[in-house]
Amino acid sequence: MVMQRRRFLGAALAASAVPTLSWADAGNPAYLAAAKEPDGSYALYGLGADGQPRFRQPLPGRGHAATAHPARPEAVAFARRPGTFALVLDCVDGRVLARLTPPQGRQFNGHGAYSGDGRVLYTSEVVAEGSKGMIGLWDAARGYRRLGEIESHGIGPHEIRRLPGSEVLVVANGGIETDPQDRTPLNLDRMRPNLAYVSPEGQLLDQVELPELRQNSIRHLAVRADGQVAFAMQWQGDLFEPVPLLGLHRRGALPVLAQPLPGEELAMKGYAGSVAFAPGGQNVAITSPRGGRVQGFGPDGTALWSVARADICGLGPGRAGFVATDGQGVVASLEGGALRVLTHAPLAWDNHLVALTQG
Amino acid sequence: MRFLPFFLSLTLAGLAALPLRADVPEAVNKVILPDLAAFTQATEGLARTASQGCDAQALKAPWNAAFDAWLKVQHFRMGPFEEGGRGLAIAFWPDPKATGARQMRALLAAQDPQFVTPEGAARLSIAARGLYGLSTLIWQAPQGDYACKLRAALADNLVRMAQAMEDGWRGGFAEQLLDPGADGHTLYLTQDEARQALFTQLIAGLEFNADQRLGRPLGSFDHPRPNRAEAIAEGRSLRNVTLSLRALKTLSDALAQGLGATPQTDAAFAHALQLAGDLDDPVFAGVETPASRLRIEILQQAVRDIRAKATGEIGALLGVSTGFNSADGD
Repeated sequence: MVMQRRRFLGAALAASAVPTLSWADAGNPAYLAAAKEPDGSYALYGLGADGQPRFRQPLPGRGHAATAHPARPEAVAFARRPGTFALVLDCVDGRVLARLTPPQGRQFNGHGAYSGDGRVLYTSEVVAEGSKGMIGLWDAARGYRRLGEIESHGIGPHEIRRLPGSEVLVVANGGIETDPQDRTPLNLDRMRPNLAYVSPEGQLLDQVELPELRQNSIRHLAVRADGQVAFAMQWQGDLFEPVPLLGLHRRGALPVLAQPLPGEELAMKGYAGSVAFAPGGQNVAITSPRGGRVQGFGPDGTALWSVARADICGLGPGRAGFVATDGQGVVASLEGGALRVLTHAPLAWDNHLVALTQG
Repeated sequence: MRFLPFFLSLTLAGLAALPLRADVPEAVNKVILPDLAAFTQATEGLARTASQGCDAQALKAPWNAAFDAWLKVQHFRMGPFEEGGRGLAIAFWPDPKATGARQMRALLAAQDPQFVTPEGAARLSIAARGLYGLSTLIWQAPQGDYACKLRAALADNLVRMAQAMEDGWRGGFAEQLLDPGADGHTLYLTQDEARQALFTQLIAGLEFNADQRLGRPLGSFDHPRPNRAEAIAEGRSLRNVTLSLRALKTLSDALAQGLGATPQTDAAFAHALQLAGDLDDPVFAGVETPASRLRIEILQQAVRDIRAKATGEIGALLGVSTGFNSADGD
């Protein structure tokens, strides 16, 4: 079906010579997710809201997350950390439009974001030695040429999001300095993670630190249309010390830390892997593949529910709640704390499920 | 849509090929359910003694018996164990901020009568309840009517938690493991997932012994932490490691039952148990002295070696591995 439409469009476009394919030509996926196939190879999938695949493009190595161009059916698949590649894929025909390689001495950190007009791609990067955080700028309008870089204003940035309706970037500076060869952390006793709001010119606009929880690495982000940011953390201290793993923040206000349901304090094993808002932002949830849990919260951070499922990690907004993916090949909906399997395939879904419908 | 058959195929393949293997039923029916029943019985013995008088000394033997029974089921941190933090309420350790001791002191100071009833005890923080809450009341043996009533109330609460955990397994959770995916249950969808879940408990149980029971008192060479060992007052830090390893060996055997031999795992268990048996240091006080510290480090290494061997050998027999995302950690 995809191929037929492609051929038809190809013919039509040849006549008009205006190459403007849209996400509809890639089957209108609702999500992107990287996976490991049964034969050990890796791929990036486009998934419909029903969890069914809309496209599949092979990857040269293990992926981590992806980001989608706001208009064109292009997705950037980021390698697992320490990242040596990011591929810009044409999601209609699978062509590799560009292969991004970090400059000498830099490494990708698994996440990125586009500017509102889709002209600039921002990539989360570190200086390999010392893990100083950088944001790479790439010219998405002209073949993804490197435009330059700005500081992330922290050590070891992980996820980057653009605030909806704005060009301000919000960066999760995880605070962890890692060995450039592998991922061995080097500074757990003196780490200082932060949540940074950065202008496209690199100016630090706002910064949030949690002085009481210095060993809580701020790593993943979700943004709501009104600028509310949810940040998910990974605790590097004693795993038997209960600490909050979800924070909510809005520029100019104090952060709110969300406490889980009684008895659930240690259920996540100190680790949140993904965070997402439900449509409309009325609920927010975090996943833990280590604890095999999804915990749901109200908009004010009040704990609402908890669902158990092994190795669950990818999370995005669903029709009336959330959609999650796990290492056993399941795509599931989560509504009101009830998990329903949408699809189940013989592959392992990787860390993140990236929604294509957000600001 | 060319992907559709591929995406739907797993359920069909899963249904078509269900080899008759003993692993999960063996573990559930012959290990977990009987050991849960034995734990409930042991807590009943403790509660009976606690209800009969105020002699804290008399509770030491039944408390130890209950803890011995607990070590056979403690590593099944799934389903009924996790509901409302039940397993943690039964044995709240490690407790890095000494929350349990602090709450017990406050409780004894306040003497609030509402907490010495079965309903009231259930409202206490999980850190103050269970085997460790009782341990403080038995080994420190605070005098007086309130402490006596609190012992009886916490022992009664422990029975209720043990019974609820056993009921949870018998009343549905065992079925989720034995017949995964049935009745709309989504925790485990296939036999492989049920197998993986029990395998994960085995591996996590070994890690708990190496990283917590042995790792906490070991601390670092420059900063050994002998007072972070488990159950020091009761003199059973090493005994807990030994009994836990024996129980994990039983689980390991049950999982491999009918699938094949596990010579490397068996040898690794035997080696670690031999080391534990030879170690004359019941509360790991030796972590501060280089020679005796080395023996505890060697035991920790031996437990980690069981983990490595079991991951390879039993993982291969079961066709499972540790989680794709949980092992990645990013």
